[in-house]
Amino acid sequence: MAALLTVTSSDYSRDMISDPQQSVADEQAWIRQAQRADARAFEALYRLHVDKIYGLCLRMTGNVSEAEDCTQEAFIQAWKKMTKFRGDSAFSTWLHRIAVNAVLGRIRKSKREQDRMVAVTDVYQPRLATGDSGEMRDLAEAIDRLPEKARHVFVLHAVYGYSHDEAAKMLGIAAGTSKAQVHRARRLLAQQLEEQGFEA
Amino acid sequence: MTEEFDDKLDSAARQLATEISPERDLWPGIAEAITTPQRSRWTPMLAQAAAIVMLVGASSAVTYIATKNDGGPIVSVAPELVFEQAAFGSNYHLGPGFQDARNSLRAELDVELSRLSLEAREDIRANLNLIHQAIVDINTALEQEPDNVLLQQKLLRAYREELTLLRRVGGLTRNVMRRNDI
Repeated sequence: MAALLTVTSSDYSRDMISDPQQSVADEQAWIRQAQRADARAFEALYRLHVDKIYGLCLRMTGNVSEAEDCTQEAFIQAWKKMTKFRGDSAFSTWLHRIAVNAVLGRIRKSKREQDRMVAVTDVYQPRLATGDSGEMRDLAEAIDRLPEKARHVFVLHAVYGYSHDEAAKMLGIAAGTSKAQVHRARRLLAQQLEEQGFEA
Repeated sequence: MTEEFDDKLDSAARQLATEISPERDLWPGIAEAITTPQRSRWTPMLAQAAAIVMLVGASSAVTYIATKNDGGPIVSVAPELVFEQAAFGSNYHLGPGFQDARNSLRAELDVELSRLSLEAREDIRANLNLIHQAIVDINTALEQEPDNVLLQQKLLRAYREELTLLRRVGGLTRNVMRRNDI
């Protein structure tokens, strides 16, 4: 591990990690190093988890630039809070919570500023590079068009598999509200997708 | 809107990609944020805050000392110093009257302190040091913002605190001192 930390950052590529057990061992070592303020170990953690975090941010925001900002903010916050990670949950779950908070914080900030700013999305909406194709892309785009709260709950519950209790805790809402928002999301998605002949 | 449709929808949602690579490397921005050393935040406003904290601490300590010393030489305080509400210009200084009072009290200080216990003497000296440090800090801040009225008021207050402390220790009395002495 010590030797690994002395090599260049490009050597932290996820491609190096092919053995799942080795991956877990590396992650644990990187976490301990990062908790001692080792930025290179933290970069390794970033390389390992960035796709998960960016994916979550992109699904939740439906906007590339917002997702990029939220991803960066999430990792910056994670760096600041590294010593608070106790391993009670998986590191990826801990990062997910931080990312959800980053998204919610950014939305709150955007709402404060929306009265004096032109919404960029009204001018230019970049196509999301999600890797989805065909009907899955239709579904992804329909999710992007959901109202904000319904989208957040649907993404966490239906796409990422969190329980209503877990999603509600991450979003700071009641579990009952989470269920109601998922129900609402399904109805809205059904309306959108049936018009397009969606066959799941 | 059937249960069957919901099941299909959920099944499709679970097949959506959860790991998506960003189109650009986001690490450089993160690295810059986490490795850039924090700049010194010693601003005039923080100097004020530090001075206030020290003054409040000093005042509390003096009150504690005054109340715990039964029968000691600390006597009641003469009428409070009165400073007129003022907005100072860029030139400000302690007036000769204020300086005389301060010098007189400081000359008496060692004599008065010698009548106190060692513990009380150390406490008073420590509190005087705190006030003097506050005066230094405020003056440092004033070098950057010489026209800052708030800082000037804090400086006056620091001097007043010092004078009050000296008077409490010495038990000396003074008549009302007016702002135009400064």
